[in-house]
Amino acid sequence: MSRHGQRSTRLRHRPSRAVPALIVGLLLLAAGVALVWLSITRLVNGSWPSLLEGPRDWLAALTWNDPATWQIGTAAVVVGVILLLCALIPGGYNAIAIEASGVGDEAPPVQEQETVMTCRAVAHLAKARCGQIDGVRTASATATTGRVHVNVTTFLHEPGDLRARITDAVRARLEETGLSPVPEVTATVRSRD
Amino acid sequence: MRQTAGTLNRTWLTILGVLVVAVGAALLLQANGTLHTLLDTARPRTSVVTGDLHAFFAQPWVAATMLIIGVIIGVLGLLWVIAQIPRKNPAGDYRLHDDASQGFTLCDPSVLSTAVEKQINTLPGVITSAALLRGTARAPDLTLKVTVNDRADVQEVIHRIQTSTLPELANALEVPLQRSGLQIDVSGRTQSTGTVVQSTGTVVY
Repeated sequence: MSRHGQRSTRLRHRPSRAVPALIVGLLLLAAGVALVWLSITRLVNGSWPSLLEGPRDWLAALTWNDPATWQIGTAAVVVGVILLLCALIPGGYNAIAIEASGVGDEAPPVQEQETVMTCRAVAHLAKARCGQIDGVRTASATATTGRVHVNVTTFLHEPGDLRARITDAVRARLEETGLSPVPEVTATVRSRD
Repeated sequence: MRQTAGTLNRTWLTILGVLVVAVGAALLLQANGTLHTLLDTARPRTSVVTGDLHAFFAQPWVAATMLIIGVIIGVLGLLWVIAQIPRKNPAGDYRLHDDASQGFTLCDPSVLSTAVEKQINTLPGVITSAALLRGTARAPDLTLKVTVNDRADVQEVIHRIQTSTLPELANALEVPLQRSGLQIDVSGRTQSTGTVVQSTGTVVY
């Protein structure tokens, strides 16, 4: 199960599905350990462990149209569909590409180049820009590749055009950073006494 | 910077998903009699296990087969779990000259990475950086993670890296870089020194 050689992968990538893979991997490991333990017990003692008697009797009495067979079949279909969804739903990118401007004739000696900013970094940038705007008390931000949303609290009883000033300032900051495409910027402003 | 097992995970989740769905669907079709009608399999009212299970499990080869299957499943599961650990996969020593008659020249890529990091850390607005070289001496592959403060001019940092750091690395290796990845991160700490002046006290005219 080797993954990559000694080449780098794209910095802007989709989720790696580590959580479902970890769960299924641990279940496989547990199943393998259980099988090995049962087999070794049988080989050493000459008889199967007594805890197998229940499942063995249940299996011997099971018919194809038994409700338990239906339940097992349904559970298998559901689990399989969940695994397929985990594998096939692409998920969002972790970062936004940055277009470098002003390099011109001094193009770097690189055949393939990728410059990105993580969504978390974009959120930090937006939050920090909000914190510099007059009237803003506290700010928090969340970012995806397509949208940046900032939540702002203000001292002002009537915020007026504060929301527009915030979105304009954050958008300008993201544009000057070179994000491509620039995410849509939205803001929620709440007044606090 | 670190590499994860995205492709591996998608491939195995798809394979297992298809297998489990196929088994489940076959079980349901068999349970409602469709499979019996189509393929003349066992009747739905018959027992799933036709033989004597006690006699079957009493055979010595069953335990040996289960042991082998258990080991295979367990090892595959363990390898898959281990594959989830993100890895750097750095390059081995770069062989700058490999002609035995003229002598060998080896270069530890971490030395070059450290030099790149030191240079980038001097750029305005940069808090810290991490560089990782992969590939070979003839086709080097650089991955950079640069953390800047929230007031940094990101375009200026990128420009300085592209016009100064990368050419110097390419000069040192005497080949253009095969690939360069630059990830800009922004520190979560608000920059409050350098250009910010906090005024306190009372001004009396």
